[in-house]
Amino acid sequence: MNIIQDEFQVQGGDFANVGTASTALKSSLEMIGIPSAIRRRVSIIAYEAEMNLVIHAGGGVIRYYVYPDRINIVAEDEGPGIPDIDLAMEEGYSTASDEIRELGFGAGMGLSNIKRNADTMEIRSEVGEGTVIDSVIFISG
Amino acid sequence: MSFGIKVQESRCAGCANCIQSCPTEAMRVIDGCVTIIEDLCIDCGECMRKCPHKAIVMNEDDWELIHSQEKVVLASDPVFYVQMNAYSSQSLIREALASWHVWDITEYMGLAFDLTAYSLANILENEDHQNLPLISTYCPAVLRLIETNFPELIGRIAPVDSPLEVGVAIWREVTGNTDSVTLLAPCPAKITLVHNPEGRESSNMQFTVSVGKLVRALLAGGPKVHASFPEVPNNRWLEWAIVGGESAHISNFSERKLSTISVSGMRNTMDLLKEMELGRLRGVDYIECRSCDLGCIGGIGNAESRFLSKMRLDHSKTNWDVGEEELRTIKEWHKTDIWKLKKELKPSQRAPLSEDLNEAMVKLKEMNRIYSELPQINCGSCGRPSCRALAEDIIRGQGEVNDCIFKIRENIQELGKEIVELSDRMPHTLKRKGS
Repeated sequence: MNIIQDEFQVQGGDFANVGTASTALKSSLEMIGIPSAIRRRVSIIAYEAEMNLVIHAGGGVIRYYVYPDRINIVAEDEGPGIPDIDLAMEEGYSTASDEIRELGFGAGMGLSNIKRNADTMEIRSEVGEGTVIDSVIFISG
Repeated sequence: MSFGIKVQESRCAGCANCIQSCPTEAMRVIDGCVTIIEDLCIDCGECMRKCPHKAIVMNEDDWELIHSQEKVVLASDPVFYVQMNAYSSQSLIREALASWHVWDITEYMGLAFDLTAYSLANILENEDHQNLPLISTYCPAVLRLIETNFPELIGRIAPVDSPLEVGVAIWREVTGNTDSVTLLAPCPAKITLVHNPEGRESSNMQFTVSVGKLVRALLAGGPKVHASFPEVPNNRWLEWAIVGGESAHISNFSERKLSTISVSGMRNTMDLLKEMELGRLRGVDYIECRSCDLGCIGGIGNAESRFLSKMRLDHSKTNWDVGEEELRTIKEWHKTDIWKLKKELKPSQRAPLSEDLNEAMVKLKEMNRIYSELPQINCGSCGRPSCRALAEDIIRGQGEVNDCIFKIRENIQELGKEIVELSDRMPHTLKRKGS
């Protein structure tokens, strides 16, 4: 089947390299002529997912799959997990440390930003085991 | 379109300095000479800074020829007025120019920059917060960078024209003058402003000469001045020569306190636009990006050091008080459309690998495979700025794997092994040693 896929390891606390997966994905989508509005949504999702791995999960992996009709971004980690997903989805709710907030991150917009930009979004999380955030954007037309 | 720079082929050594400095990867070295992918060139002039052979130059018009006309009308970039110690004020420079029969329409420029700043302050006050920040249109290289690399931000570009254009338009309307106008440009991007403008069909100006060319001409045994010209009271517009000056000018007209970010240099500009694209600039009203270090005073076409220009600006007193009469004039012009952008901006990107999505995906996969087999050290010997660019060119049919010297070396090694193997074969009529 015609799929383009790639995988990016993200290190916990590595703020300097955040955006690597997002930039690579965006340029791939440009090469195959995906409209810029979709590219932007995809790169925001990838960026926020990367950010979550850096801030909360102590690192993890971002995988993306481009199908002819949709783009699937999966962020997976073995971090602390999310005890209350509904609460975590609320805008402005954040468990980020003061240190991270001082860096200008951790505003509690990450998950809601992903949800806003994705067509479907699924979170699977077990406390103490890890989290998977699976989002899909459809390529219309 | 690269209207702002040109390559002097006889000087090009075919080195890889320029191709790696290009922020949009618009340059290739083919057959020992650099070529430019015109759709991607933003006229920022980074390649000119990097070229050790001065093979890339500003595509300016012939000043001698322009100067030989009976009368020359000049529209100066603000940078021009902070280049020379010998001519320390607008009036002295105007006097010097006048003795050459060159007329600078400075007073209209002062008004146009006021009008642009006033209009921007007005827009920012009334715009819904959701649609902020807006992006300055002043640096033509930044506009092109957005069109090539950040097309999603086109909608955030402030709908105002370059005050340099507005100044000439006001001058034409007030005086009814139809003479040709020459823009004094500090950089290749402002040459393109005249010869292939963004946001309007055609420019109000006809020719361009670099700021450096005229400054050197003035300083080389230039005309004597007697301070007989009246002082020009409005010097607010000169602040636009340095990064942050535009924002200060807008804030000067704004009723509310504006949150603005001003950055200069290609790296800072790219980083800020990237952050904006990711939606990270909430609460910011306006961003002012200049592709050159310190702003237009860092332009490659100037004569003076950007550091000395900055010092001169820091030392000069800017008159931020807009008189009542001045404000009335600004408001009158604001009622017209003269300050508005005339035409929508359009994305300008390299075409996808194929118009058909499925085919493009197959090609992208092939491109990724080719890339994975390249050394990925971006040495530039193949004439491309990066291994990824070579992989892309190969897929587009504009290159081959053997353009890579490391791949050639591998292939020669393979060939060598084969030769050794072949040379080891013995004719059947000869006995093998040791057998």
